[in-house]
Amino acid sequence: MSGSSPDSDGTQHEDALLDVRDVSKSVSGPEGRLDILSGVSLQVRAGESFAIVGASGSGKTTLLGLLAGLDTPSGGSVRLGGHALESLDEEARADLRRRLVGFVFQSFHLLPALTAEENVMLPLELEGSNDARTRARAALASVGLGARQRHYPAQLSGGEQQRVAIARAFVHGPRLLFADEPTGNLDQRTGHHVSDLLFALNRDHHTTLVLVTHDSRLAERCHRRVELQEGRLLASVA
Amino acid sequence: MRLWQLALRNLRREWHLPELRTLGASLVLAVTALGVVATLSTRIEHGVLASAAELIGGDVGVASPQNLPAEFTEQATTHGLSASRSAGFPSVAFAHGQSQLLDVLAADSAYPLRGTLELLDAQGHSRIGHAPPPGQVYLDHRALVALNLKVGQPLQLGGRPLTIAAELVREPDGGELFALAPRALMSLTDAEQAGLLGVGSRARHRLLLAGEPAGVRGWRTWAQGAKLPQGAELITPEQTQERMRAAFDRAGAFLRLTALLSALLSGVAIALAARRYARRKTQEVALLRALGTSRRRVLGLLAGTLAALALPAAALGTVLALALAQAAWVLASSLFAGVPTELPLAPAFAAAAMGLAVLAGFALPPLAMLAEVPPVAVFRASLARRVRRFDLLYLLPALVAVLLIWSQSGSARMAVMLAACLTLVAAAAATLSALLLWLARRVAPGAHPALRLGLAALARRRGMSLVQATALSLGLVALLLLAVVAPALLEGWRRELPADTPNWFALNLQTDQRADFEQALARLGAGKLNMLPLAVGKLAAINGTPVDQLHLQDQRAQETADRQLRLSWADALPESNQIVAGRWPGEHPAQAEASIDTSWRDLFHLKLGDTLRFEVGEGTLDAKVTSIRRVDWSSFRVNFFLLVDPAHASELPHTWLTSFYLPRGHAEQLAQLSRDYPNLSLIDVDALLDRVREIVDRIGNAVRWVLGFSLLAGALVLAAALAASAQERRHEAALLRTLGARRGQLAAAAACEFALLGLVAGLTAAVGAAGTGIWLGRAVFRIEGFVPPLWPLVLAAGGAALAVMLLGLAGTRRIVRTPPMRLLREG
Repeated sequence: MSGSSPDSDGTQHEDALLDVRDVSKSVSGPEGRLDILSGVSLQVRAGESFAIVGASGSGKTTLLGLLAGLDTPSGGSVRLGGHALESLDEEARADLRRRLVGFVFQSFHLLPALTAEENVMLPLELEGSNDARTRARAALASVGLGARQRHYPAQLSGGEQQRVAIARAFVHGPRLLFADEPTGNLDQRTGHHVSDLLFALNRDHHTTLVLVTHDSRLAERCHRRVELQEGRLLASVA
Repeated sequence: MRLWQLALRNLRREWHLPELRTLGASLVLAVTALGVVATLSTRIEHGVLASAAELIGGDVGVASPQNLPAEFTEQATTHGLSASRSAGFPSVAFAHGQSQLLDVLAADSAYPLRGTLELLDAQGHSRIGHAPPPGQVYLDHRALVALNLKVGQPLQLGGRPLTIAAELVREPDGGELFALAPRALMSLTDAEQAGLLGVGSRARHRLLLAGEPAGVRGWRTWAQGAKLPQGAELITPEQTQERMRAAFDRAGAFLRLTALLSALLSGVAIALAARRYARRKTQEVALLRALGTSRRRVLGLLAGTLAALALPAAALGTVLALALAQAAWVLASSLFAGVPTELPLAPAFAAAAMGLAVLAGFALPPLAMLAEVPPVAVFRASLARRVRRFDLLYLLPALVAVLLIWSQSGSARMAVMLAACLTLVAAAAATLSALLLWLARRVAPGAHPALRLGLAALARRRGMSLVQATALSLGLVALLLLAVVAPALLEGWRRELPADTPNWFALNLQTDQRADFEQALARLGAGKLNMLPLAVGKLAAINGTPVDQLHLQDQRAQETADRQLRLSWADALPESNQIVAGRWPGEHPAQAEASIDTSWRDLFHLKLGDTLRFEVGEGTLDAKVTSIRRVDWSSFRVNFFLLVDPAHASELPHTWLTSFYLPRGHAEQLAQLSRDYPNLSLIDVDALLDRVREIVDRIGNAVRWVLGFSLLAGALVLAAALAASAQERRHEAALLRTLGARRGQLAAAAACEFALLGLVAGLTAAVGAAGTGIWLGRAVFRIEGFVPPLWPLVLAAGGAALAVMLLGLAGTRRIVRTPPMRLLREG
């Protein structure tokens, strides 16, 4: 296992849950090759909260996709829980995501035809869990939506929908939670509630939290944060 | 900007939406399917009708007791038709000191214009020919045997010496069942010169015409307006024998039914696509409303967009229908070789109109509701509540379906029954699906992960699953009816005329000859012997009013009243008769009781309790109508319009009518029988039976062709319906992939889901198709005891379930591969 050399975020971690080395991502567009990310290296330890900030178009979402194994880098390596993602095929990466990862999206991505409870049951059903319903209800209760389990997404407010999404992200006990602009679609007060919830769960479950945001106040609540600019990491703040 | 410009722009912008494409494709498909089937059906009906022309020897004609005025022939020439004159009359032939009454047809050399005249020469070689030149005559086998003659020998007919040039094997004779005597065909010139057709002769003159359909139509229109000579009547293919007409009617019902089922399938696909389109547009409409667009304008815009999509789609469908129907006709034309028909345009345009009606009926309810989306829904979709007052609109598809069924079935009764059958199937499918979904919730926790996900997916999309299962069931019922039940019905129909159908009739048998005649037949090996009493009389009065004072308006009723009528009696209701009102006469009723056929009821507006007076011989019989029967005239059994109770009728002067089956090759023995019973008239209906069998086979082949098209249309529509629903899964697949679902997991779940869906639909459809098939067989096609083949139905249903699963998997294959990154990009 590599990881003893200092990275661009200035830290050095032997026990990194997420280990990113010199990752680049480029796509070919109508005007030739376009580099979205280049030379990104970072490490995230188990249990810490980590923010990636940057302006729109800086490559935050692309980086999140690479970190979560939703996409593969053009160069460099991403190790998630000790597994080199670039050496795994899409099926194996899906397995890894199911076991290790939870997601919270800016626009919630709840399935509209499913009730709150059924949306939370999804990751458990993918695992083949036998007590999916009970665990989903407990998860909803823990985000304060015990009374809303039979509601459909369209019947919930934005904040409530995001809380359902957080319950879904935590219900199967992932080691790593990726949140993509989790408060981006919410008002300040609701956003604050939701971020409180995220950090509380991060703390209580010892889940590693990687969040992508352009909200500096949200980023400041994380143990560490890095800034992306035009596809490159600028600095790391502890 | 004008509304239509906005609508066009809207369509251009939204053309990439799968729902709109499905909507357009469904409409093209619906119009094409309806159009191809309707065009082919009409053309085949024309073809069948035209082949009926073979039975009368021309496309149209006129028969008259006198020579016809020259203008009838002149008009035929004007319309570009060829003409043939002939005359039929009885005449006695003499040869070797023997005489025989013959049923003679004297015809010009153009006869027959349609159909074939099959002859056998002295060497036994078969050939097709025309009426003989002067000096020659053709005799049928019975005439040759009766006169003890051979081809090449001379005979005297109408006082003229003629040479027998050939044996008459088959002629387009109109299938006259009661052609009493053996047949002869001679030259019209000979008959005229012999004075056989002069004043006072019993000849019936015929002018037959043939040519292009347009010319035939033109002449018919002229002739219907022209004043026909006294006693003359038009000869049309439609008026050929009653049993032939029954065959054509059935064929028509069959073909229309196939078209109808295709149209309903399309409606299902359109409804599914429109529902999805409306759902997708909810937010956009809310925004438009929020920005100040009036409800009316929104509705106008939606209707305009739909019209901008529908009109070109309907036009494309029409063109495709005509092209495909033409191609199919060219390929299938061997079925109707030599029968000229033109490509009918009207059915394809009617199909386009029907397709548009289906689109309007099935797509309007969800779209009309869309116009009711409140502006506040722009903030939250859940505020776009259902508008109760539009619930009634959901009756629109049902109404369109019933109207379609009505227009295609041609009878309100059949429309109601068919609609009831389909509703029952839909209700059964919905109930069964609901039950399965309930079970799914119970079973899911302990099941295999893939099955659990599949069950969960079904149970979660409860509403959609119910709609899909019901739609699939209806679709499969249609397919099963077409693929399994229809051929079985055809086969049943063909079997109605088994090889040992009675092929001989004997008339005029006296009561004291019965026993001997039966024994003689038994010695010959005849089977299926059936003997019925036959009294000949006349209808004298109805409810005490003499017939001549009834002032019957209907020409046919007047003719029937003027004619001699045959009545019979039996202890029990004869086979192929069904009582539709009243009861069969009791054993010893106080007053004579009569049972009439439905056509008599309609002709004379009779009802139960009416009294009829008959004059039979010297006496009269007053009988009360106590039952009305529906008679299957295509059954080839001896049937009567009038049956009287035996207790009162057996005293009437009567003879016996016998039908029996005798294999071919007994001409010598039959001739001997004829000589032993000189009063007896023996009638051979083999030729007629052959023609009916041939027509049934032709129709069978034609229906199989149309069936192929309907099946294809049905399968395509089914696939379109599945594809429309599969779209919804793309987002879900991306999410599940992000959450770590494997492709195999998604595929297995989809397979389970679609297999279950297919199974429910298949099971319901098999039961539904069997039930509908039994009803169709008995009530519409009147095939006694028809039971659809159950195993093929079950197998077909299983196959359909498998097909639904494979189609579903094919539809979701691309979705399962949706890159999970797409979800992150969506925000």
